[in-house]
Amino acid sequence: MTPVQSVVVVGGGTAGWITAARIAAGHNTKSGGVRVTLIESPSIPTIGVGEGTWPTMRNTLRKIGIAETQFIRECDAAFKQGAKFARWVNGGAEDFYYHPLVLPQGFPKINLAPYWHQDSSGRSFSSAVCFQEAVCEHGLAPKLITTPEYAGVANYAYHLNAGKFAELLQRHCVEQLGVRHVLDDVTAVNAAPNGDITSVATAANGAIGGELFVDCTGFSALLIGKHFGVPFIDRSDVLFVDNALAVQVPYDDTDAPVACHTISTAQAAGWIWDIGLQSRRGVGYVYSSRHTDHEAALSTLREYVGPKLEALSVRRIPIRSGHRRLFWQNNCVAVGLSGGFLEPLEASALVLVELAAEMITEQLPPCREVMDVLARRFNQTFAYRWDRIIDFLKLHYLLSQRDEPFWRDNRTAASVPDGLQEQLQLWRYCPPGDHDFTSNKEVFPAASYQYVLYGMGFRTETRWHAHTMRQADRAREQFQQNDRVIQQALATLPKHRELLRKVQQYGFQTV
Amino acid sequence: MNRLVALNSAAHRQLRVDQAQVLAQAAQLNMLPVVLGEFLKLCVQYPIVLTKNAATGRFSCIALFGFDKHENLFWQQGRWDAIYVPLQVTRQPFFLGDGANDQDKVVCIDTQNVAVTQTHGELLFDEHGAETGYLRQVKQMLAALLEGEQQTERFVGKLLALELIRPMRLEIEFVDRRKQRVEGLYSIDEERLKGLPGESVAELHALDWLAPLYTMLASLGHIYSLVQRKNQCLL
Repeated sequence: MTPVQSVVVVGGGTAGWITAARIAAGHNTKSGGVRVTLIESPSIPTIGVGEGTWPTMRNTLRKIGIAETQFIRECDAAFKQGAKFARWVNGGAEDFYYHPLVLPQGFPKINLAPYWHQDSSGRSFSSAVCFQEAVCEHGLAPKLITTPEYAGVANYAYHLNAGKFAELLQRHCVEQLGVRHVLDDVTAVNAAPNGDITSVATAANGAIGGELFVDCTGFSALLIGKHFGVPFIDRSDVLFVDNALAVQVPYDDTDAPVACHTISTAQAAGWIWDIGLQSRRGVGYVYSSRHTDHEAALSTLREYVGPKLEALSVRRIPIRSGHRRLFWQNNCVAVGLSGGFLEPLEASALVLVELAAEMITEQLPPCREVMDVLARRFNQTFAYRWDRIIDFLKLHYLLSQRDEPFWRDNRTAASVPDGLQEQLQLWRYCPPGDHDFTSNKEVFPAASYQYVLYGMGFRTETRWHAHTMRQADRAREQFQQNDRVIQQALATLPKHRELLRKVQQYGFQTV
Repeated sequence: MNRLVALNSAAHRQLRVDQAQVLAQAAQLNMLPVVLGEFLKLCVQYPIVLTKNAATGRFSCIALFGFDKHENLFWQQGRWDAIYVPLQVTRQPFFLGDGANDQDKVVCIDTQNVAVTQTHGELLFDEHGAETGYLRQVKQMLAALLEGEQQTERFVGKLLALELIRPMRLEIEFVDRRKQRVEGLYSIDEERLKGLPGESVAELHALDWLAPLYTMLASLGHIYSLVQRKNQCLL
């Protein structure tokens, strides 16, 4: 038997540190449990574009023992209550919809979608079934200063500075969780006859051995790609964007309001993200270079940001949409960009890291002899998750009526995954529900599909099943309840900037 | 005229403070912050619990007077029906302001306070401009509050550090069958307290904070006396 007593994480970005932290916290590294070593190259900069999280991050931070106040103060973090998609449907100035983080009123006990179709009273789906859109439109925070840490009045995630986040995680891993931090370059990979990695050779610290190796080396995919040669599955046939121009935009003054949601604005050949941190905004244009050129993309970004862009430094990041055919090969598992990358349309990068770190931690193979079983399970789970995320991202493009070549090409049948085509056919007559998403590996709930479908003007024809709509009274109550919650939320929640300031000054209590 | 001013024996020679009015100002308050030094007197009649300051989220110890926002069940027929009244009531209309340098505190008065009169009540100064016994008493109260607030803040900080604070789940049914859920109150987590390691208990003991901690726990029984008071009003 070969017990797994030592895990080696190669790479020190957010992926590496989150994985190291979860394993160390879950396996008592500090008090003599599984040893965790993280090797970070002093010469390779991190990519650091994952600046939007899911609500799952609250649980991740709690599990590794970081206080919310400390996280918000040290990572320039702000609250995020979902995404506002502007100009995605027809490109008009009034064209927008929300994908909030709060589930529809009464979900999943009652599915309000068919009742909303029957009588929307002129209201958008998200505003009729969820109070969060109103909260975002009014620039309000998802909680009060009296709300305990990690609890919310409305569900929320974060926008954060990825560089500062990695620094906080590093300090926490080393000082609190007993992770050994080695600053060195990996120069070679040493393997056993069965292909397993036995150790990685470093420039100054010799060979570092272990039973499990986590590849967090980013795009270079040092272990999973270069060493094992696991092929990369290119998905640019479905998702066309292949470049991002990113820029950090300071606020005009320290009192400037901070948006409490990601703003995603469709453009001729892609879309622009706009996220609010405490001290600056993060803005970026993701585009398809087959449909525009870098010069034109830069002027699109300039038009969005305004004249102050001239004084700021714009970074171009290539995007290769896709993922490894396998994420876990032998005794090596890829987490983060080494496993794959997609445009940040639904902030899937960090959540995939969290999900991977969670599964590795909770199902850490006790010994090498059972590792292949868990590896297979891991590969099935993540292949499923990547496919669902790709489907969901594609859905945003499919329903657009925009007329530019990028958008028209996005609607060609050849670019749509079969499963998604099938689902869409079904959804023309049955609204998305839990029966569409039966796996315990699901990433997006049926509610997310509803928000995007109906936000983009998709119609479900419920005529032939009208007799199944026996909860009209309850539905009406739920719509009214939503209106009451909106009024209550608007009356009690503080402005986002005001809450951020109070977190700096007073912090949240733990209870 | 300035409303909040430093007390001055020349300018304020004629001022009097109406004690009945001082108490009446708390007639519609359902809670007030209290300090450690008062706990033993408070626990005879009031529940001593914790609540969060709405503006800062910080905890403070309070004495509870009622369940609704403006309900003071100790205010009965125009008088305060209790053996002891918290310092935050009786020190009115005086407060401590910052003096010339940061360390100095000066006694100030809210001249527009309804308890301040020229006709009846306690004088602050005698005909020679010397402080009256009443004013000396007020000064003692203010000093006790100043020191007590800092001490109580440290006490609450220790409770938090030891994770001894927990939210209270209060569901009350009154004689008229009306049910009320009282939110936003916190108390000592008895289970955590029982399981506290010896060194933490020794530390609390050395700081003399074990007594106030148990006083808070014991005072919780007065929630029932409050319910009884309310029921008597409803009958």
